[in-house]
Order: sequence, then C-alpha cells, then structure tokens
Amino acid sequence: MLWRAAALLCIFAGAAQAQSPESLAWLRKIQDATRNLSYSGTFVYQHGGRSETSRITRLAAADTERLEVLDGMPRELVRTRDTVRCYLPESKVVKVERRTPDRSFPALLPEQLSALAQHYDISLGETRRVGGFDCQAVMLTPKDNLRYGYRLYADTASGMLVRAVTVDAAGNQIEQFMFTQLTIGRVTPDMVKSRHAAAGFRVEDAEAAPTRLAGWGLSSELPGFHKIVELTRRMGESKPVGQVVYSDGLAAVSVFIEPLQARREPARTGLASLGAIHIYTREVANHMVTVVGEAPAASVQRIANAVEYRRP
Amino acid sequence: MKEHISALMDGELDGRAAGEAIDALRREGEALECWRVYHLISDGMRDTRLLSAGFAARVSQRLEAEPTVLAPANLPGRTPAQRFAFAAAASLAAVALVGWLAFAPQPEAPQPMAQAQPAITPVLNVPLPSAANDYLLAHQGFSPRVSLQGMAPYVRTVAEHQDEPRK
Repeated sequence: MLWRAAALLCIFAGAAQAQSPESLAWLRKIQDATRNLSYSGTFVYQHGGRSETSRITRLAAADTERLEVLDGMPRELVRTRDTVRCYLPESKVVKVERRTPDRSFPALLPEQLSALAQHYDISLGETRRVGGFDCQAVMLTPKDNLRYGYRLYADTASGMLVRAVTVDAAGNQIEQFMFTQLTIGRVTPDMVKSRHAAAGFRVEDAEAAPTRLAGWGLSSELPGFHKIVELTRRMGESKPVGQVVYSDGLAAVSVFIEPLQARREPARTGLASLGAIHIYTREVANHMVTVVGEAPAASVQRIANAVEYRRP
Repeated sequence: MKEHISALMDGELDGRAAGEAIDALRREGEALECWRVYHLISDGMRDTRLLSAGFAARVSQRLEAEPTVLAPANLPGRTPAQRFAFAAAASLAAVALVGWLAFAPQPEAPQPMAQAQPAITPVLNVPLPSAANDYLLAHQGFSPRVSLQGMAPYVRTVAEHQDEPRK
C-alpha cells in the first residue's frame, strides 16, 4: 500500500515540474504513432561491435505486431492485445506471455509522461535526416547516473520512431535501434500472422499470476524506481518463479526469484551484459536472485544487492 | 558477394578482389543496394550527417546534363528502396563479438543506497545465464519503452554462438 502511495506521490510531484511542453508533445506523438499506425520495416539493432537485423510489421486495426529476427537463431514474436508469443522453430517451442488480469502491456499515460521529467531532462534536439526520413530529435538526459539517457529520432510527418540511441553518462552509445527501411501503411492481416502458427509447437505458457511474494523485498529502493508489478510465473519448464518489476517510467528492472533446488545447474554469481541490459545473479536465502534491467551496471547491482528475505 | 562488399568498405580486399567487387557495384543490382544499406547503417552508427534524399540520383542527372567532353561515365541510378533483399543484405553488416562486460561480484553486504556508486572492477568473465533469453522475454513485456518503440526491444536476446569473434 505504501509503495503505491509513494509511486502516486512521485507521479504528481513529477507532473508539477515544468518541462518543455513541445518535448512532451513529441513523446506523446511518438507513442501515438507506435500504437495507431500500421507499418512494416527492417531495422538494425546495434550494440558493442555487433549488429542484428530484424523485420517488424504492425497492423493497427488488429492491434497485432510481428517481429522476425533475421540473423542468428531464428525467432519470431507476435504480440496481440493480450499475449506475446515467441516462436522458436529450431526447438519447436512457442513461449507464451499473457497479460495479467490487473495489468495491460505498458502504455505511458499522459501523467506518466510528465512524471518522466522528475528523472530526465526532456528537450528537443536538432532536426536531421535519418534513413530517408526528416526527423526531430528528442533527448532524455538523466538527472543522475542511475539511469541511461536516450536520443530519439522521430519522423516529423508521422511521429514514427526511426532511430533510438541509448547513451551512458559519458555520452557513449550503448546500443541503438534504427530503421534502414520503413513503409507506413499498406499492411495486410497476412503480414502479421505467424509463419509457425499451425506448426504444432510445444507451448510453454508463463501462466503469470499477480501475487504478493511474502517476505521478499528491497532493503532500500533505487531512487526513482518503483515497484510496478509483482507476480509468479513459469520460465521454461522450471517451477514457479517470482518476478518483481521496478521502473522509473522509462527504464525497467526485473527481479527474478527462484528456489535453488528448482535449478538444474549451479548458479553463477556475477554480472553479464547485453547492450543496455545488465543481468546480475546472486544467492539470497537459498534462492537464486537474477536481476535483469536496462540500466547501468551499478544500478542493476544495487537493486540486486538490496534484495532481502525476511521471515514473514 | 555481400561479404566482399563489406570487406571492400573495410579496405580489406586486395587489388584483384577489390576490382571484382567494384565491377559488381557497376552492374547495379543487389551489390549496389548492399553498398547503399551498409553505408546507411554505418553513417547512422557513427552519427555522420546524411546527404539529402535522392542525392545520388541528382548527381547522376547533373552529370548526364554535362557536356560530354571527357565526362566521366554516368553514375548508376539507385534501385528502388523497397526490396526485401535489404534485410538479408543488412544482416551481414559488420558482425563482431558482443562487448561482454564482466565484473567481479560485489561484496554480499548490502550497500547503503544513498552512497555513491560502488566501484566496479572487471576481473573475470561471467557468462550470461543459460536461461538469459527466458529472463529477457519475461522482462521486456513490462518495459515502458515498448509503448514508444513497439516490439523492437524484444530483439535483445542472446545469440546461440556468441563465441565467433569476427572483426
């Protein structure tokens, strides 16, 4: 209860802060375009010295989106209003994530967009051409070093996000997404259908259910990150795993908690990275705690180190 | 051929191979499209200012309009951009080993949150957990970023063979 009150307070406090109305209007425009437009395009995800190409197609009328990864291990993801299905043709498995009853997939409400101003300076940058589109740059510069900064480039005509760059405190690029080709409109229902829908894959349903993980919590919060959801779920074929998600409105950090005996292999304590994502694993009270988040390594570690179990 | 175009851009081809790659570019088609996409990607990554749309086509037109006295051969026009060959072409763009950051575990004692960030000392490689992709899939669904970017962040997964170092 206290959590929620604190989160609400923060939202109102954030909303009260002055922020350029134009830059907030641009964030809203990007969000509206992402939701309301049908589009298909090829984009590159780049991190470290590596780049991967994917194709994304959205049919707004059906609220369905399909992502096909073109490099490396074949994967296809289809998101509808209330499920995400991840098809892995090599192992003939489809992983299913369903919307939990009390929570839709994330959408930033206007007051949440304003609340971002509490942790980020939001400003408009230059206009420049990106991938053939005239784009407006929108900068989100963090007010502390607990989170990354973002440079977003949106098509001035449609609001579509053409390029998104994540930067660290020193201004170095951590990762980026960029469309190399993008067509707005002209999407047919066939284009968002899974290629594997009828292939008889084994279904691994996360069976996520909101819950209260008794005894588990953080000894202290990371400033600005508030709990947004707490649930139990399955992962792969494991026993139920607890998941608690903290977010500052833009970045999110998940804490996964699983009994040690449920794991087939010994846990390896430490930190690993993938683009802007850091994963930190440690043991707490005979459980494996894995913290996954798009935040600087130190932030992910701080949350991991704050995870504690107190006998309820 | 795509590997050759990529190597040509990196200056890694010897004289004869470079000549063949340049001949392929002259014949337009896929090689030229590949060349264009690679440069688009590399400009994007490096934050280089891009030329305005149709720049190459306009240069071609100007050259065509020039008097023919000792004029260079016409630059080829650009092929239509909507070809799906794109995807395959772009997929071969510079692939290098992911920049794994590996750090020593922090001391078990919880750090006071108000304190300055703890120093992180790189000591040994800690690989991503074998279930990393499951964690990532479970996590992405709750990232508010999806509302600004659609499903794009879902591409963040661990490739099966991370140990193929290629420059």
